[in-house]
Amino acid sequence: MREQTLVPTFQRPPSKVVIRRVADYEQDLFFLLQESLAIFNLPVKDKTVLLKPNLVGLDPLGVMNTHPAVVAAARECFLRLGAAQVLIGDGPAMDRDTEAIVESVRLRDYTGPLAGSFVDLNVDDVERVVLATHASRLNELYLPKTVLGVDFLVSMPKLKTHHWAGVTLSLKNMFGIVPGSCYGWPKNVLHWAGIHRAILDINAAARPDFAIVDGIMGMEGNGPIQGTPKASGVLILGNDPVAVDATCCRIMGLVPERVQYLSAAATLLGHLKPDKIQQLGESLESVRIPFAVLREFRTLADN
Amino acid sequence: MEPDPEKSFVQEVCLPFLLRTQNANGGWGFQAQSESRVEPTCWALRALHAAAVPPPEEAMARGFRFLRASQLADGSWPSTSGERRGCWVTSLCCWLLLAEKDSSVSVAAGLQWLCRDWPRDTAPWRRILSKLSPQRKLHPVNDSYRGWGWTPGTSSWVEPTSFALISLEHAGSRVLPSNARQRRELATAMLYDRMCPGGGWNCGNPRVYGVPGEPLVVPTVWALIALRHDPARQENIESMDWLERNLTNIRSGGSLALTRICLDTYGRRWPVSAPTLRDLYERNEFLGNVQVAAWSSLAMSGPSQWLNANAAPAKAI
Repeated sequence: MREQTLVPTFQRPPSKVVIRRVADYEQDLFFLLQESLAIFNLPVKDKTVLLKPNLVGLDPLGVMNTHPAVVAAARECFLRLGAAQVLIGDGPAMDRDTEAIVESVRLRDYTGPLAGSFVDLNVDDVERVVLATHASRLNELYLPKTVLGVDFLVSMPKLKTHHWAGVTLSLKNMFGIVPGSCYGWPKNVLHWAGIHRAILDINAAARPDFAIVDGIMGMEGNGPIQGTPKASGVLILGNDPVAVDATCCRIMGLVPERVQYLSAAATLLGHLKPDKIQQLGESLESVRIPFAVLREFRTLADN
Repeated sequence: MEPDPEKSFVQEVCLPFLLRTQNANGGWGFQAQSESRVEPTCWALRALHAAAVPPPEEAMARGFRFLRASQLADGSWPSTSGERRGCWVTSLCCWLLLAEKDSSVSVAAGLQWLCRDWPRDTAPWRRILSKLSPQRKLHPVNDSYRGWGWTPGTSSWVEPTSFALISLEHAGSRVLPSNARQRRELATAMLYDRMCPGGGWNCGNPRVYGVPGEPLVVPTVWALIALRHDPARQENIESMDWLERNLTNIRSGGSLALTRICLDTYGRRWPVSAPTLRDLYERNEFLGNVQVAAWSSLAMSGPSQWLNANAAPAKAI
């Protein structure tokens, strides 16, 4: 069972974020990830790991969901690090046919049979969780027992802009753990509670231990579904989801402090300031690739 | 004569799976050995009644007892045990229990709750605010039409609205709340208003930021079934055409079973070239989903007797 105690950010040690340049999904992603994960000395030996990709919809072209090649490479890496079991799970927000989505992205082709290793978080057994942070008016949520019960949780989003939240990265990706069988498709109760505040409450209740962002092919503009594909050529990973998201924003030419939920997350969930983030791998400047945003979010841009 | 392989698949795989996965408390979880929940229990019971020969009476009686015991004091049903607020599954329960002889009081209370539950986004004061909002053009829908949300105090969405309509349609006048007719008219109009350009439905966003929404199988099927009494209406025809065209793209047992149910309901021919449930099952075993096994059983249970409002009371479960 994961440690859920929240540590105020001023008491957290600096975070590490690695940026790797990756031209396409044909590269040796396993090698790249294995080399990068070795930096972190992750406590996963004999543990159960849950990889939580971003699966939002039917995506035969592979532009809106976390690419299965990245998921499969991460799975293999965690197994090599000694994990007893590596599960893959998500609860798509707009479509209850999870099997159709995982088939459309060809996840099975990369990971092998899904029965027993894939968890549809929309229909998992649930447990009532009182939300200690009270950022939103939700007070409590029913969350999947698989998420609450694993030892190590990895958020694996796609690098995308978002038409309601500004950006959708490793923190926003955690909307997918909220079960549709309790809250519907879409998980509208979260929108009524306020997207930014709900993101904080969910991540405080189930903070990812690690984040791996698929920025090889991102999405700009009207994301997370109808945006424009953006070849960005990066993988971003780190042991602090806030620091990873902040780094992603800087790569996308956006100011993380101006993203409402990220700014608030810096008090309790992780580091936002560059001086608290040890940047490894490629330099930020060398991979910076400005993303277009909708007019409503133009103030997020750093120029 | 060779037996229909799809019917054999249901008899050999789906129905035994459903019988095997019933929990000791009479309910079903979404998966084997998971906790009993209202939604999969409703579908498992409906499937066993429609497809098992003979229906397993003792198992079904225990299932109905689980559902009656799960009802909240206000007449609604919750999505999971321990939850103190009812939600959209109330429609599924009422629809199922309408045909069960010991449940008329439960159903009447459920339908009363359903007709008291108005979506919050279309409350009159919110509609005034929304007219003034610059966001209005981003998500243009007619907010004078009102359906049902997944959970109380939220917005209208296609699937919960469809299930509420089906449930109210099946209820006799004896148990119908006084505003049921008004709710049905508003909800029917809401469904048509939310149709995607060119036919079909997604969760309920036909257009966002000026971009047409893509239809999805599950909401399209339930909307079409809720609106099936007007099969010649242009929107129904366009949506059925989309569903038929989409058949070759289907990659999951759930979507395939529901598409078959809908095509049967509208009297459209099932193409020989369509994928089979057995083939799709062999890929991922339906991800172990009880509900998909139930939909598959219903898809192969013949003409949609279980959708026939007039037949339901006479054929008491």
